[in-house]
Amino acid sequence: MKGPIFSGAIILAGMFIFLKFLLPLVTAPLPASLIYLYLALVLSGIMIYGTMSAPSLEAMMGPIFRFLSGKGQTGAGQIARLAVLVMFPLLVGWQTYSRLVPSDLPPAENRTIHPAPPGEFVGLSNPYPKTPENIMMGKGLYAAYCSPCHGANYDGKGPAAPGFNPPPANFSDPGTIAQLQEAYLFWRIKKGGVGLPVEGMPWKSAMPRWEEELPEEFIWKIIMGEYDGAHQSPRTWEEEEE
Amino acid sequence: MLNGRGSLRTLLIFGLFGVLWFSSVFANEPPASEDVGSVSVRMYQIEGSLPSEDPNSSQWDSVPSSEFNLAPQVHWPPRIQEVTVKSVKVKGVHNGQELAILVEYADPTEDAADAAALEFMVGDKPAHFAHGQEMLQVEGGPVNIWFWKNESGKAVDMSAKGFKTLESQPHQDVQAKGVWQNGTWKVVFSRSLKTEDSQDVQVEEGEWRSVAFAFWDGAVVDGLVKEKGGQKAVSTWWYIRAEPTADNSIFGWVILGLALAAAFELVIVRKLRKGQSV
Ligand code: HEC
Repeated sequence: MKGPIFSGAIILAGMFIFLKFLLPLVTAPLPASLIYLYLALVLSGIMIYGTMSAPSLEAMMGPIFRFLSGKGQTGAGQIARLAVLVMFPLLVGWQTYSRLVPSDLPPAENRTIHPAPPGEFVGLSNPYPKTPENIMMGKGLYAAYCSPCHGANYDGKGPAAPGFNPPPANFSDPGTIAQLQEAYLFWRIKKGGVGLPVEGMPWKSAMPRWEEELPEEFIWKIIMGEYDGAHQSPRTWEEEEE
Repeated sequence: MLNGRGSLRTLLIFGLFGVLWFSSVFANEPPASEDVGSVSVRMYQIEGSLPSEDPNSSQWDSVPSSEFNLAPQVHWPPRIQEVTVKSVKVKGVHNGQELAILVEYADPTEDAADAAALEFMVGDKPAHFAHGQEMLQVEGGPVNIWFWKNESGKAVDMSAKGFKTLESQPHQDVQAKGVWQNGTWKVVFSRSLKTEDSQDVQVEEGEWRSVAFAFWDGAVVDGLVKEKGGQKAVSTWWYIRAEPTADNSIFGWVILGLALAAAFELVIVRKLRKGQSV
C-alpha cells in the first residue's frame, strides 16, 4: 500500500513512539488511556484531512472500500478480506465479554508511600549533634528495636519482614529515607503505621508506634544511626526549597 | 437512496466512532497480576455439604490453596523474635449458605496449647490488623476473630476494637475442628456466610473481605508455654471472598455483540458491492 493510507499509518506510528517512549524520557509516562485518546484524535485528523475533497477521499478510502467489497479479488486478497470480516465480530464479542465479566482480582492497592506529615512535624530538626557516640547509640537502639523488620543491614530484610504487607521499608534503597527529611522520619517513627493518613492505608502497616515505648531522644539518635548505617543522607530544608 | 459521497460520510462517521470505541478498549490497563505469593483466598463454590467436620476429607484435595508467610509478632509488646509457624496454606469452600476455611501448617509437636486464629474486618470502616488498634487519622472499625485451641477442641467467636478489648461474643457462630498428623496441623473453621450478629463479618458472594492469620505453638519449654497471647506468628491483611455463581446472561450479550457486528459488516459490504464505491 502507498499514498495517504501509508503516510497516515506512518504518522500514527510515529506519534505512538513519541508518546509511549520519547515523552517518558522527559516527563512521567502517560497512562495508556491518554495515549490512545491522543492517537484517536490524530487518526480523526488524518481522516478529516483525507476526506476534504473528492480526489483525496478516493485516494484514501478507495483501496479500503475495494478491499472490503471483494470485487475482483483473488488469492491472498480474498483470504485477507475474509479474515478481516471474521475477526471483527469476534473482536466485538470478546470485548463485550471482557467488559461484562465481573472483575476477578482483589481491589488494587494504591497506597501512597510518602503522604504529607501532620503540620506539627514540619520544620523540626535533629536537636542532637552528629557525634560518633550519638550515632553509635542510635545504631545500637536500631539493632534492638528496628532490625527484626528493617534488617540488620538496613535493607528491609529482617527475620520478621516476610510476613508483612506492605513490607518494611528498605533504607538502603535511594527511594526511601534518602528522599526524606529527618523531621519526616521523626513523625513516621513516633506515630508508626497507625499515624498514617487514609491514603497511606494505616490499617495495613506493621510499623510500630514507637512513642509508646521510646523517648524522643532515642528516636532522634536512631534516625542518625539509620542514615549512617544505610549510607544515605537526609534531605535538607534547602533542597526542599529548590 | 443516498449518493456515493453521502453514504461514504456516514460510513466515515461510523468508522470514527469505531476507532474511538476501539481506543477506549485498549485504554483498559492490564490488571495487576497475583504473581508474588498469594494475595487472596478464594472460597470455591461446591454443591451439597461442606467438609467442615473433616480436615482430611478428600473433598479438600481438589480445592486450590493460597499460601501466606507469617512473621514473629514484633509489632507491639510482648514481642517474640522466633516462632514455629513460618507460613500457612489456606483453602476455602462455600455452598451458598455455609463456608469452610482450612488452614494447614507445620508444627513438629502436638500440644494442648496449640492454637490458630482467623481475623476479619467487620463492616465498612477499615480496621488495623493488630486487633483493630486505634489509628490516629482514620476512624477504624472492629475485627471479628475466630479462635481455635487444641485443648478446648472448638472455636470461639470473638471481637476486638483496640488492644486489650478482645472478648468472646455473646453470640457464638463459629465451629472448628483440628487434626494433627506427622508434624502438620489441619484446622477447618466453618460458619454460615451471613449471621444475624452485627459483631460478625458478613460474607457476600463475590465481595472481597480482609483476613489475617495467627498461630501459636503451645509447646512447653522449660516449664513455660512457648507462644501465647501476643507472642505468636502473624500476618497482616490479605483478601478473601466467596466465589460468585457464574452469571450466564453475559453470553447473551456477547452473542448480541457478535450479531450486531456481523450485521454491520453485511450492510457495508452490500452497499459497496452495489457499486457505491468511489
Ligand atoms: C514490626 C515490624 C517493624 C518494626 C519493628 C519497625 N518497623 Fe519501620 N516500618 C515497618 C513497615 C511494615 C513499614 C512500611 C509501612 C509504613 O510505611 O508504615 C515501615 C516503615 C518505616 C519508615 C518509613 C520509611 C519511608 O520510606 O516512608 C521508617 C522511617 C521506619 N519504618 C523506621 C523504623 C525504625 C527507626 C524502627 C525502630 C525504632 C522501625 N521502623 C521498626 C515495619 C517495622
